[in-house]
Order: sequence, then C-alpha cells, then structure tokens
Amino acid sequence: MRRFITLLKKELREQLTWQMILPFLLVVLVFLFIGNLTGKETKKALAPQKIAVLDEDRTPVSQTVIDSLTQSNFNVRTYTGITESSLVASAKNEGIATALVIPAGFEAEIAGNRSQPLTVYNIIRNFSFTGSVGNRVASQALDTINEALSNQLIAQKISGIDPLQLKKPVFPKNFVIIGARTAAVSPDQVTGFIMSQTTFLPIVMFLVIVIAAQMIAVSVAAEKENKTLETLLSTPISRTALVFAKMTAAGIVSLMIAVIYMFGFRYYMNGVTGFNAGEAFNPEMAAAIQQLGLMLDLPAYILLGISLFLSILIALAISLILGASAEDVKKAQGLVAPITFLIMIPYFLTMFIDLEGASPLLKYFVYFIPFSHPFLAAPNLFIHNYLSVIYGILYQTVFFMILVAAATRIFATDRILTLKLNFKKSGFK
Amino acid sequence: MEQALVVEELRKNYGRYEAVKGISFSVQPGEIFALIGPNGAGKTTTLRIIATILAPSSGQVRVYNMSIGRDNEKIRQNISYLPEEAGAYKNLTGIGYLRFMADIFASDQRSRQEYVDTAVAICGLKNRLNDKIGSYSKGMTRKLLLARSIMTKPKLAILDEPTSGLDVLNALEIRQTIKEYAKAGMTVLVSSHNMLEIEYLCERVAIIDRGVIHQIGTPTELKTKYQAGNLEEVFAEVAK
Repeated sequence: MRRFITLLKKELREQLTWQMILPFLLVVLVFLFIGNLTGKETKKALAPQKIAVLDEDRTPVSQTVIDSLTQSNFNVRTYTGITESSLVASAKNEGIATALVIPAGFEAEIAGNRSQPLTVYNIIRNFSFTGSVGNRVASQALDTINEALSNQLIAQKISGIDPLQLKKPVFPKNFVIIGARTAAVSPDQVTGFIMSQTTFLPIVMFLVIVIAAQMIAVSVAAEKENKTLETLLSTPISRTALVFAKMTAAGIVSLMIAVIYMFGFRYYMNGVTGFNAGEAFNPEMAAAIQQLGLMLDLPAYILLGISLFLSILIALAISLILGASAEDVKKAQGLVAPITFLIMIPYFLTMFIDLEGASPLLKYFVYFIPFSHPFLAAPNLFIHNYLSVIYGILYQTVFFMILVAAATRIFATDRILTLKLNFKKSGFK
Repeated sequence: MEQALVVEELRKNYGRYEAVKGISFSVQPGEIFALIGPNGAGKTTTLRIIATILAPSSGQVRVYNMSIGRDNEKIRQNISYLPEEAGAYKNLTGIGYLRFMADIFASDQRSRQEYVDTAVAICGLKNRLNDKIGSYSKGMTRKLLLARSIMTKPKLAILDEPTSGLDVLNALEIRQTIKEYAKAGMTVLVSSHNMLEIEYLCERVAIIDRGVIHQIGTPTELKTKYQAGNLEEVFAEVAK
C-alpha cells in the first residue's frame, strides 16, 4: 500500500502540470465568455419584439390588428401617411426586423370574405441563432393577427358561440401511466423531463473517458519510450500496484477536468438556451413527476454512479492495455481514439432505438458494449427497474476484472516490453 | 564462496528469433564485470533477464543464490538496473525523482533520507536538483540516474551502457563513481560497446556477439592471448 501511494503521488505530480491544466481552464473561460455573451443576446432576442406597422386602412379592423399585436406582447410602432420605402427606412434606423403594411381597403375586403395579403418586410441582419429569433417575428405576428381576425369574424357571423370552441372542439386531457402509477400530465412533458435529467450522462462520460483514456495510454507509452518503465519493473513494486496507480491517477485527474468542463458547459448551455431548470419546473409538473415516482432516490443514484464509475474503469483498463501495446506516445494516442466510438454507438442507439423491440442481434450488440449500461441504467432507474441495472453492473464488473487481469498479466510478463500492435502488416501482431 | 551472479546456459527467444544462445558466466562479489559486443549482440537482453524484467526461455540465473523466476521479488530488493539511454520523469524535479525512488526501496523515513543524501552527494547536481528534469542536459540526467541506481547500495548494480552519448568529462566522472562503489563492495555488471572504456573500468570481460559468448577473461589475459594492443583489437580477432 505504501508503494502504491508513492506511485500514485508520482503519477499525479507527472500528470497535474500547468501545461496540462491550462488548456482546460482556457476552454472553460471561453465557455464562460461565450455563455455570458450569448445569454445576453438570447435575453435580448426573447424580449418583446419590435414590429413596425404602416396602417394605410385606418379602420376599426386595422386597429384590431394593431391591438392584437400589442396584447400579444409585441412592441408595435405604428405609422400612418408615409410610403412603404419610408417605413422600411425607419425600421432599419430603429433596429426593427419586421415591417408590416395594412393596405387601404383592408377592412372592406375582410368583410367581403376575401383573404387579404399583408406585405411583410423581413430585415435580415445576420444568420446567427439569436439573429434568427428576430426573423421569426413575422410568422408569429401573422399567427396573432389571423387568430384575432378569425375570432372576430366568427363572433360576428355566428352569435352566441365561443369562437375557440368552434375552432377546437376537441382538446386532450392527458394521463401518463408508468407501471402501476398514473398522473395527469402530457407524455411530451414527461419525456422532456427524463431527457433533461439524463442529458448530462453522455457529456460526463464522454469527457471523462476521452481524457482519461488519452492520459493513461500516453503515460504508459511515455514510460516505455523513456525507459522509466524498465527501471520501475526492476524495483520491488508489485505489477498490480503499478497498474492501479496509473489507473487511479488518470481517474482522479479526468474527474477533476470533467467537473471543470461540466461547470463551464452548463453555464454555456444556460446562456445559449436561456434555460434554467428551476424556473422551467412548475409545481404541477413537479407533482406529476412525484406521482409517477420519476424522482431518483438514493439507491438509484448509487447504482447509476457505480455503472458510470465502472465504465470509466473499463475505459482506463482498455487504454492501459493499448498504451502498453504502443511503441511510442504518438501511436498510443492513435490507438485509444476508437474508444470514443464505443461510447458514441450505445449513446445514439439507446437514444433513437427502443431496445426491447430491436432485433436480438442489435440488442445483444448494445449489451455487449460495456459503455452502454449507464445509458440503459438511467431510464431503467426512473421506472424502478433495478434488476436489469444490477445485471448490467455485474456484467461491467466481470468485464473490468478480465481487463485488469489481462493488464496485470501484460505488466507481469515480457509482453510489457515486447507487445506491439502493428496494423501495417497482416492485422495484429 | 557465494557468487554474486551465476548465469548458466541462458537462452532467450523472441518468437523464432534466438537473441541469447546458451551463454554462461559468473561474477564475484565486488567485481566489475562487463559484457562487451556490438549492437544486437544480446547484451541488453541478458541484462534485462538478470534485472527480472524479461523471463528466460531456458537456463539458470542466480543472484546471490536467489533464482530468477522463483525469487524475483527478493532479487529486486537487492539489485538496481540502469537501462541504456533511460530518461526520467520530466515534470519531476531532480530531488523529487530521488525521493520517489528512495520511497520505493526504503523501509522507513531514516533510510529514505539516507538514500536521498547519498544520491545528492553522488550526482553533484547541487541547486539544479530543484529544477525539473526536463531542463537537464543528457549528462546531468545520466548522473542523476546513476546516483539513483547506486544510492541504495545494491548488492548488484546492472548498468547498461552507463556512459553512452556522454562527453569525455561526464563519462570519466561516472566511471570513477562506479569504481569507488565497487571498491566498497558493490558488484557491478556493465554492458558497453565502448571497449576502451571497459578496459579502464572492468576487472573481467565477456565478449558476446550474435547471442554467443566467445571469450571471458581479464583485459590483460585477452590482450595477451590475441597479441592485441587493446580490447577493440581483441574483439576484431574474436569476431573473425
């Protein structure tokens, strides 16, 4: 144990250098900066949208159009007695993206049951995400106007009937059933909630595994290249301590980096989407989620954590073996790159395919990949299907133990110095 | 008397390639013994087997009566190995590296400090020990590694090309240090293709080529036998 700690400290000192940490911190700073900037822009884009309206009709109906826009939280700037080109020029000057013209005779045409074209000028300044929010103003404005005018026309033509009832005689009263529990909530809301709760999983896993895999493979390959490994192998350190010290150090460093990244990424996403979990989670929704038992309890979090942790350990063990098989650092980096695909495959498959209904070949292929199990665990835990999660964990444990045995065997024999993966000639060598 | 090292009929195969072809030799305690020969002669493979890094394909190797294969853990407590052109951890300081290696061998804090003090005295790097190894010259790194390999006063020091790539002064310093420690009782097994260096350093040499030992003796014996002026000329005669 004493020698393991000595080795672990050395590994951490070797890996936790400013040269290594600084790029990660810089990336986080960039995330924070962009998040802050886009957050401000998004807020601006989501604020009441300005719209310029040229009223050439000046009738009660044209006034209804303007009033409906104002009531729907549009910031309406009304013009009369100017030309369309002056309207566009004014809109440009005032930074308004949409200008609308209500033509003369508008009321008369509507009263005559003739659909009317409204001229809409869309002033596009850029094609960014926040810029496109402004460009959606026109279609929102037209929906608002249509809604207001149709309600008015229905009310005029058929008295005593609520226009809303006429337009939408049927509306859904949703119930969601999960197991034996039922709650009055929309299935889209429930699915959205589960997705929002599990989105962090692939991000954390991907980050941790990619960083850790590179770190450990490079560490072993560098020791081989510099012959420091030969020195260590001739000392009284056990091969198992050597393997576990490298894995533990890479695990600790990658977890630290993942936490830093997650912090930066979350800030960035909040900025970009303007989404805040606390605000979006209304009391009715919370009650429905509680009623359906969709809150993860402590045992569920523990199982999810174990599944995630085992995935990281498996990635570390695979990378250790690949690093030991590489002749130098450059080759080691290339060898571990495909591990990212092993994470992406189950991520996308579990996201788009219902494994229960999939072909047995595809199902067992997904189960075979050890990184699939945390993705499968999260939804299973929400519906309290603990047994399948435990089976997944058992499979991961066996997989990990086989890999560790293989890694320790490689370190205990000549293979640590003689093993080379050669893709140039006939496959593996 | 107990032999420091006994190698009997040692063979090592890498697949179908036989790198060492049944070599035998022995080394007395406190002796500096050299394996000399060209690149690819089997020197490094032999040293790696004795250092317990590689397993022999057949044959016997005993270090102070401990058998390679059976007693590897015990052997590792009593030997130290300096690989050819070895590096060190570039992000550690020189002193940090010495402390790390001392920690591996020391059983308590006192012996740890003793090892570090010894290494500091041997390497002569003084204040530069507080700098990162990445900033060291090749000569400084080699001195640090040599100090590391003998600071524990191992019973057997296995040094593969200890002065390879060094300038004259650095090489001389390292050779003197090895000699001093051997005088104090440390057995040294050294490999080199620099035969003039070996003539200065070693008491006995074995000439190895293509996995076979052709001659063993003192430099004087071999020079007399082959009527040669130096070991290089002896090797040229042997290799014919």
